[in-house]
Amino acid sequence: MRHTLTLLLGGPLLVLALAIPLFVTDSYILHSIAMVLFFAYMASSWNFVCGYVGQLSLGHSAFAGVAGYVTVLLFTQLGVTPWLGMLAGGAFAALLSVPVGYATFRLKGPYFTLTTIAFAEILRIWLENTDDFLGIPLKGAQGLTVPPVGGSSFLAFQFDGKVPYYYIILAMLVGVMAATALMERSRLGFYLKAIRGDRDGAEALGVDPTRYSLTALAISAFLTGLGGAYYAQLFRYINPERNMGIDLSIDMAIMTIVGGQGTILGPTLGALLLHPIGEMVRATIGGSFLGLHLILYGLMLILAVIYFPKGIIVPLQRLLDGRARKSASRKAAAKTDALEGKGQ
Amino acid sequence: MDLLTLSFAVINGLLIGGIYGGVALGLSLIFGVMRVINFAHGSFLMLAMYCSYLLWASLGLHPYVSILATVPFLFIVGYFVQGVVISPLFKRERALVVEPTSALLLTAGVYLVVDNIVLMAFGPDVRSVAVDITYESIFVAGLPINLARLIGFLAAIVVAAALSFWLKHSEMGRAIRATAQNRDAASLSGINVQRVYNVTFGLGCAVLGLFGALLVPFFSITPNIGLSFGIKSFLVVVLGGIGSIPGSILGGLLLGVFESVASQFVTATSAAIFSFGLFIAILLLRPAGLMGRA
Amino acid sequence: MSAIEKISEVKKILDVKGISKRFGGVQAVSTLSFHLNQGEILGLLGPNGAGKTTAFNMIAGALRSDTGEILFEGRSLANLKPWDICRLGIARTFQLSKPFGGLTVLENVMVGSFVRTAAEKEARAEAQKVVDFLEMGGKAHTDADDLTAFDRRKLELGRALATKPRLLLMDEVVAGATPNEAGEMVHLVRKVRDLGITILIVEHVMKVIMGLSDRVIVLDYGKLIADGPPKEVVRQPDVLKAYFGERYVDARA
Ligand SMILES: Nc1ncnc2c1ncn2[C@@H]1O[C@H](COP(=O)(O)OP(=O)(O)OP(=O)(O)O)[C@@H](O)[C@H]1O
Ligand SMILES: [Mg+2]
Repeated sequence: MRHTLTLLLGGPLLVLALAIPLFVTDSYILHSIAMVLFFAYMASSWNFVCGYVGQLSLGHSAFAGVAGYVTVLLFTQLGVTPWLGMLAGGAFAALLSVPVGYATFRLKGPYFTLTTIAFAEILRIWLENTDDFLGIPLKGAQGLTVPPVGGSSFLAFQFDGKVPYYYIILAMLVGVMAATALMERSRLGFYLKAIRGDRDGAEALGVDPTRYSLTALAISAFLTGLGGAYYAQLFRYINPERNMGIDLSIDMAIMTIVGGQGTILGPTLGALLLHPIGEMVRATIGGSFLGLHLILYGLMLILAVIYFPKGIIVPLQRLLDGRARKSASRKAAAKTDALEGKGQ
Repeated sequence: MDLLTLSFAVINGLLIGGIYGGVALGLSLIFGVMRVINFAHGSFLMLAMYCSYLLWASLGLHPYVSILATVPFLFIVGYFVQGVVISPLFKRERALVVEPTSALLLTAGVYLVVDNIVLMAFGPDVRSVAVDITYESIFVAGLPINLARLIGFLAAIVVAAALSFWLKHSEMGRAIRATAQNRDAASLSGINVQRVYNVTFGLGCAVLGLFGALLVPFFSITPNIGLSFGIKSFLVVVLGGIGSIPGSILGGLLLGVFESVASQFVTATSAAIFSFGLFIAILLLRPAGLMGRA
Repeated sequence: MSAIEKISEVKKILDVKGISKRFGGVQAVSTLSFHLNQGEILGLLGPNGAGKTTAFNMIAGALRSDTGEILFEGRSLANLKPWDICRLGIARTFQLSKPFGGLTVLENVMVGSFVRTAAEKEARAEAQKVVDFLEMGGKAHTDADDLTAFDRRKLELGRALATKPRLLLMDEVVAGATPNEAGEMVHLVRKVRDLGITILIVEHVMKVIMGLSDRVIVLDYGKLIADGPPKEVVRQPDVLKAYFGERYVDARA
């Protein structure tokens, strides 16, 4: 069932996504759509571990930020192409995630969540207050800019229009979804769901929860890192608050939870729903009302937790399943009605 | 560092630590009774601070007088947040759909809403209340003690004692304790658990109403000040053993002294890093808290 | 005495030597020793709070024992984690069965079979065999959350079997089951034994354990008070006392 939904929804969506730059020429709109894809990508990366293992990390922005910094610094200091820089940044984030995860995955519920916040905040505060670390110019709260190379350069990850950026993030999003699908069908996926369902029960079946959670976290951190690096390239600017503040972590978590944790499409669905709302509010009345879109996010989160604890993907799924079965069940219902009618 | 600076730092740490403990009381109480970590805890404190500020800025009310308004206001806010936002979760849980992070998510939603409503209303600017007491000190053994902080400290002790007493001796208090021990048994013995939860949540927030007003004379406010207070409160209750009222005060004192002494050695930002570091260290080494049974 | 000596010539699969566990003021298990022979079904009896589950958890590695040691096929289990112990060939069920929500029956069982293989196909095939063994083929694709309490127990047994254990620890398998279901479970446990799996079974319901076990041991207040064939053990005054109280024993005497 789940896979039919992925194909049924994902297929047309992908075709649509591929075609968008053909008829959307306004670069602002294309940029906005790319941002939706970016958040879908980030939420999907968060979901890779948190959605499946059932823990709420609000420290993932640290992975994005760290990888972004690595990419930008490698480019500005050593001239390394951001393509390689991205991978290096992702790898760095994955490395960082191992000790963090080793420490935090022993904790549960709010203890886990607040510890992830603490880790991310330590990193952010340190970065905001460090202009120079071992000769590396971090420039504190001011952040780093990526100098333009002038014109389009594939190697420098700099393009004139928005179209290349759009296709890059689209490819990344498809990639993270494919990775999630692979993971779901692998031992890792089964183990993560088992840990989420009943940790003691999983342990008794040979699952070392720390080991498998850490594996998933490292992959998730790597993916999140790639996203952070992309973001830095898109804006050619990175600073601790925007790229590793708690708001980014909250966005990833909320979109996933509203869309549907532990599913392939859920995070993207959440981003498709929430980010445009946020953007529209910001573009129209948000200017005069700072934070209005976050109020809406908060309300959506509350409503989702109360009414759709498994995400809006569930009613959607039911709708699609229902339509498929409608004719069959209508016949069955007619039959029972007839039978009951006879009995009376 | 000489002895005088050190003892000054310790005294200051004890004063602010007592206030931390008082702020954390509600978090501990709510967790003890409802097993819910209120992510929006700090946001409610921030809300109380803005209330007090608003009353001062518009009506010229002294923050200490505004307590008369902030405490009931926060009680009502807490009562309704629990009754409207959180209680559906408990109703569902009774049907055995237990999602441990749900309550955290819900209150995280409340945090976003409250923080950003205040941001929308007041903007991101730093605000402060200028009243005489901010600068008044008394001298004990040659050491200056800031009066506003001393009052906050004493209030924390008094509130903790009063809360303990009330929980032991009042009818509602007994109902709250019974519910904390066993929700189903309490419900069977005729206690209205929903109401107990509403009152508990309201009470936990009302305490914040008090400390919000006591903090504004010497603490400048911004809409995002809540989260750091919330995290500190969580650290305090973890230090003192979650659910314990004296533990909360003790945990607060410990954190206050730690922060205050640490900031004598390092810069203020590094001190913030240190308290997060302390938080991580405590959780990793003794997840049940220093006073809690491991 | 001679009967026990004869049995001990058979290969011991599990040897529990003087394990204890204290929770604060409660001595849940005190210097408990017993063993399991290859291929037998050993019943572990005892009134509520006797320490059965605690003893179980120590064998399975979920709790660390304060004293003594546990040997599985001659190998010490000291300091091994539950997952290591599972890999060695000891599987367990829990007193309260909680299926992995959001996974189907088959997928639940697959979690167990993944211990022996990393390949999804192989795990699925193995799990399918186990599901058929349990006669749950018709429910293979049901969401485990939607199962009845008894089916959850069976599913839990299936998950444990999928790890291909040589020793199976079962905690209260017929608690709350109807007589019909209890009969089915007894039938299943016998089938499991016929696969060559040694079984330690904790049970409250005397009748079930009497018919099923080759031998029973009885715990009371964490201490071993009887060890022997079921029929002999139920006649021991200590056992009756533990189960039915002093007065019952006096009345019968
Ligand atoms: N984690 C724990 N912390 C404190 N005390 C415990 C813990 N687990 C068990 N106990 C206590 O140890 C004793 C033995 O408990 P145990 O669960 O092993 O008994 P049992 O024989 O399995 O009982 P039942 O038939 O009710 O399942 C009981 O007094 C129980 O209250
Ligand atoms: Mg038991």
